Amino acid sequence: MSIELIKRRLSRRRFIQSTATGAALAGAGIGLAGPVRAEGEAIKIGFLAPLTGDVAAWGAPGLYGCQIWAERVNANGGVIIDGRRHPVEFVAFDNEYSAAKARTGAQKLIEDDGVKFIMMLGGDTMPPVVDISNRTGMLVSTLLPSDLTPETPLLIAPAEVHPIYNVTGVAWLGENKPDLKTAMICAQDDALGRPSVATYLAAFEAAGIDVIEEPLFFDISTTDFAPIMTRMMASDPDIICLDTAYTDYVHPLCEQAFLQGYKGQILSCTMDFYDQVVAKTSKEFMEGVIFQFPDFDDPKMNNPQINFQDPGGFYNEYNRRFPGEWGAVSWEYASIMDLWKAAAESANSAEPEAVLAAMKGTGTGAQCFGEARWWGKELFGIDNALVGNWPVVAIDDGVARIQEFRSIPAWWDRHKDLLIKHMEAMGEMYYQRI
Amino acid sequence: MLFALAVAAVLLALPHLAASAEQRELAVFLLINALLVCSYRLMTLTGEWSLAHVVMMGVGAYASALIAKRLGLPVPVALPLGAAVAGLVAYILSFPLLRMQGFYFLIGSFAAGEVIRLAWRLSELRPIFGGPKGIRSIPGWEDWQLFGYKIAWWSAANYYYLALGIVAASLFVLWRIERSRHGLVFHALHWQDKLAESVAVDARGYRTTALVAASAFAGLAGGLLAHYLGTISPNAFEVSRMVDVLVWVIVGGTATFYGPILGLVVLTLVNELVLRSLGVDQARPLFLGGILILAILFLPQGLESLVEKARARIWG
Amino acid sequence: MGEAAASLPVPYTSVFGPVPTVVSGFAGPFGVRSLELILQTFANAAYAASYLALVAVGLVLIFGVMGIVNFAHGELYMLGAYATFYFYSEQQMSFLVAVALGLVLVGAFGLLIERGLFRPLRDNPLGGLIASIGLLLCLQAAAALEFGTKKKPVVAPTQEILTLLPGVTLPWTRVYVILVAVGLLTALWIFLKRSKFGWALRACAQDPEAAALQGISMNQTARLAMFIGAGMAGVAGALTAPLVEPEPHMGHGIIVAAFIVIIVGGIGSLGGAVIAAVLYALVQTFVTTYWNGVMADIVGLLLMLIVLVVKPAGLFGVKDRA
Repeated sequence: MSIELIKRRLSRRRFIQSTATGAALAGAGIGLAGPVRAEGEAIKIGFLAPLTGDVAAWGAPGLYGCQIWAERVNANGGVIIDGRRHPVEFVAFDNEYSAAKARTGAQKLIEDDGVKFIMMLGGDTMPPVVDISNRTGMLVSTLLPSDLTPETPLLIAPAEVHPIYNVTGVAWLGENKPDLKTAMICAQDDALGRPSVATYLAAFEAAGIDVIEEPLFFDISTTDFAPIMTRMMASDPDIICLDTAYTDYVHPLCEQAFLQGYKGQILSCTMDFYDQVVAKTSKEFMEGVIFQFPDFDDPKMNNPQINFQDPGGFYNEYNRRFPGEWGAVSWEYASIMDLWKAAAESANSAEPEAVLAAMKGTGTGAQCFGEARWWGKELFGIDNALVGNWPVVAIDDGVARIQEFRSIPAWWDRHKDLLIKHMEAMGEMYYQRI
Repeated sequence: MLFALAVAAVLLALPHLAASAEQRELAVFLLINALLVCSYRLMTLTGEWSLAHVVMMGVGAYASALIAKRLGLPVPVALPLGAAVAGLVAYILSFPLLRMQGFYFLIGSFAAGEVIRLAWRLSELRPIFGGPKGIRSIPGWEDWQLFGYKIAWWSAANYYYLALGIVAASLFVLWRIERSRHGLVFHALHWQDKLAESVAVDARGYRTTALVAASAFAGLAGGLLAHYLGTISPNAFEVSRMVDVLVWVIVGGTATFYGPILGLVVLTLVNELVLRSLGVDQARPLFLGGILILAILFLPQGLESLVEKARARIWG
Repeated sequence: MGEAAASLPVPYTSVFGPVPTVVSGFAGPFGVRSLELILQTFANAAYAASYLALVAVGLVLIFGVMGIVNFAHGELYMLGAYATFYFYSEQQMSFLVAVALGLVLVGAFGLLIERGLFRPLRDNPLGGLIASIGLLLCLQAAAALEFGTKKKPVVAPTQEILTLLPGVTLPWTRVYVILVAVGLLTALWIFLKRSKFGWALRACAQDPEAAALQGISMNQTARLAMFIGAGMAGVAGALTAPLVEPEPHMGHGIIVAAFIVIIVGGIGSLGGAVIAAVLYALVQTFVTTYWNGVMADIVGLLLMLIVLVVKPAGLFGVKDRA
C-alpha cells in the first residue's frame, strides 16, 4: 500500500472523526463547559517491548515506570476526553526482541485488545509493526529514532532522539575544558553503537577535538574489556569516549580504565548505576565523567521548562518500588505518555490519527526537557522526532548533576553537514539502509 | 483415512476457528516452523544432529529476500531460488562437516552456522547483508485479484493458506524422500553405520543428500518467514532459536513423521497461549526447561510414543 | 604514542577487501605496534586462558566419564559468580570464603544434577544433552527471578595492581584467577596421575562395561567427576565475578568458548583442553586488540573448523567415545 493511500485514508477518517466529535459535543450541549463528569471507559495503551531475554533491560524498567505513571494519572482523574474521565490501562506484550513475536503482539494489541497507542523499544522488532501501523492507522512510538524513515508516517520518536543528543556533551566539553584535544572512541558493533559513533565523530570534529584512531568496535558478546582499554590507552588520548555502550560494557570499561591507570576525561552516553562504578573505582576517578542521563531528583529537574510531571516524586516512588532498577529507560516511556495524554486531551479524542495531529499540529511539542520541535527530515527523511534541549550530566563528588540543558537544534543548525557526512560514511543514513 | 480427512478439514478451517488475531498469527508461524522441524528430522534420520539448521533457514531467508529485493524477481520465483541457495551452501559445508560425526559434527555445525551468522552482522559486509539491523522492506507476495476479489497476502488469515499449500507440498516431498530407497538407507546409516558401508553404501553421499535436502527445505521455511514479516536480521537465527527447534523435535519424538510437529504444536501452545495468559513472563523459560527435563526423563521416546500406544490400544 | 601511531599509516584492509573508509586520517588498527602493547596483550590473554581452562577441563571430565555434553556448564559458572555476589557482596563474608563456598556449593549442585538427571540418562547421550539444555533454561530463569536480569555489582576485593614490567600491568584480581587456575589444574593433574580415581576415570572413559567388571563403581566415579567438573566451573565464576559481574545469561559466551576449546583440544583430553584454552585466549585477545571483537569471534570459530577438518578428533584427540 502506498503512503499516499494511507494519507488519504487518514484524512478521510479524521474527517469522519471530527464531525462525529462535533455532533457529540453539540448533542451534549453544555458538556464542554460543564464540570468533568462520570467515569468513561478505560483507554488501553499497548506496551510492546522485550520483557524477557537479554534485551529485557530496555523494556521491563520502562513498563515499571508506566505502571507508576498510570497510577498517578488515574488517581488524578485519568485522561479527560469529552468531559469524561478515562482511566489509562497498559496492556503489555513481551516481544522477546523478535520480529515475528512483535508482529503477533501488534496484531493482538490492535485487534484483540483495541489499544489506542503502542509504545515500543524499536530496532529489530519495528519493521513488521510499522507495516501494521501503516495499514491500520495505529500510532506507534519508538525509543530508537533510527527506525524512522519516510515510510513511517505514524511512527514517532518523542522521548529521546538517540544519538544526536550526544553532541551536547561534546560541545559542553569543548567549551568548558578546552585543553582536551584528542579522543578515542570504542563502541559495540550494533544498531545503537554505529550511528552513535558517527555522531561523536561529528561532534568532536565540530568541537575541534582530534579523534586519533579509527573507532574500536567490539562484539556484543564481549565480556573481557581489558584488551579494548589497553588498546585505547595505547594512543594516549585526552578523552576516552565509550559511545552508547550498554551498562554491561560501560561498567567494566570504566573499571579497566581505572585499573590500567587512565587519568584523562571519560565521556559516555549513559552511566546507569554510576554509584556501582564509583564503588568499583573511586570517587576521585569518576569525578567529572560526562554523560547524558540525569537522576530525576536533580535540583535542575525542577526548572520551570521541564515538562515531566513531578520528576522528583516519580524518581523516589520508582526507587522505593523497584530498588536499584532506575536507568535511562525508566522514565522515557512514561514521558511519552505525558506527551500522549496532553495531545489526547487537546484533540479531545484518543483515536490515533487525532492524537498524532494534535501532537504535531503546531510543529512543536512538550518534550521531557523542555519545549522541542518536530524534526528529522534531513536525518531520517521525516519530521517525526521531537528534539529540543538535552541535559549534560557530570559526576560531582560521586553524584550525577546536570551541568546545563543544551540545545540540540542550535548545534544542528551550525554543524548538520558534519553529522550527515559521518552518518553517510558509517552507512547509517536512512536512504542507505537495505 | 478418516482421521487424515479430519486433520485436513481442521487445517483448512483453522483461521476461522481461531478466536483472536493473536491465534491467527500463531497459526502462520506454526506452519512455517512445522516445515523447519520436519526438514530437521530428515537430517536426524542419518543419526547426525546439526546445530546449523536455523542458520540454514536464515540463508534461505536472506537469499530469497535479496533476490526479490535486489534483483526484483517476483516472490514465487525468489522463494525456490532462496531454498536452492540454502541447499548449495549446505552442499559446500558438507565437505568439512561430514568428515565429522557425533558430537564433533554437532559442534562443527554450530561453528559453521555461527560463522555465517556473524558474517551477516559484519560491518564490512553491510552493503550486502545490512549488518546487525538486517534487511527490511522485503517485498511480500503480490496481492491476487480473483473474480474481482482482492486477496491480500499480508493478512494472517490469507497468508495461512498460502503457507499451508507450500508447507503441505514440501512435507509431502519430505515424506516421499523418507519412503524412497534413499530414506531407507538413512535409517540404515543411523542404526548400522559400519554395516551399511560394508555392503558398499556410500554413507557420505547419503549424508550429503540428507543435509542438502534438509537445508533447502529449511531455507524455504526461511523465505516464507522473510516475505511474511518483511524483515530479517541476524538475531532471528541465533543459537537459542536452534535450541527451540531441538526442544520441539525431541519432546515430540523423531521416530514418526508427525512427532516433531506434535512437539512443536504442543509446546508452542503451552508457551504462547497458556504461559502468556498466566502472566508469568519472567518464569516462562523456567516452565519450558522443566517440561523439557520431565519429557526426557519420563517420556524419552517423545509425545509420539503416547500417540502410538493409544493407537495400538485402539486398533490392537 | 600519538605520533608513533601517526607515523605508521598502515592501510586498513580486511579479508573481504578494502574497508569503506570511515574517516581518512586514522592510522589503521595495526598502527600501534609497541612491545608494551604486545606484552600487555599476553598478560590479558593469560587471565582469559585461566578461567576458560577451568571451565573447559570440567566439561571434558564430565564428558569423559558420563559421555554427556553438559550444555548447562556455563550456567554452573554463572552460579559460582552469583555465589560470590551473595556471600561476599550481600552477606559481607570474605572474598576467599565466598570463592570456597562457590566451589563447594556448585560442586554439590553438580552431585544433584548427576543423581537426578545424568545418571538416569547415562546410556542416552542425546537425552543427557537435551536434559542439560532444559537445566540451562531453568537456571537462567531462576537467576533472573531471584536476582533480576541486570548485572549485579561485585566490588573487587582489592584494587592493587601488579606491575610485571614498566608499562605492563595486571590487576591483582586477575592475578588471583591465574594463580588459582594454575593451582587447581596442577592439583587435579597430580590427583588423576596418583590416585585410584584417576585410573578409574580413565577406565570408565575408555570402556564403561570393562571398568564395571574390574569392580570400578561407575556411580562413584561419575559423582566425583561431576563434583570436580561443576566445582571448577563454580570456582571460575566465583573468582571472575568482580570482573564480569554476574547476570543470568553470562553462561552463554563461556560455553561457546569452552566448546571451541574442548573441540580443538580433542574432547577426551584434559591436557589438550588446557593447551587449547591458552591458544584460544591468545588468538581472541590479540585479534580483539589488533583488529576487532567481531573478527575475533569469527577467527576463533574458523580456527576450530580448520582443526576439525584437518584432524576430525581434535589436536590431541583420543578416540571418540560417543
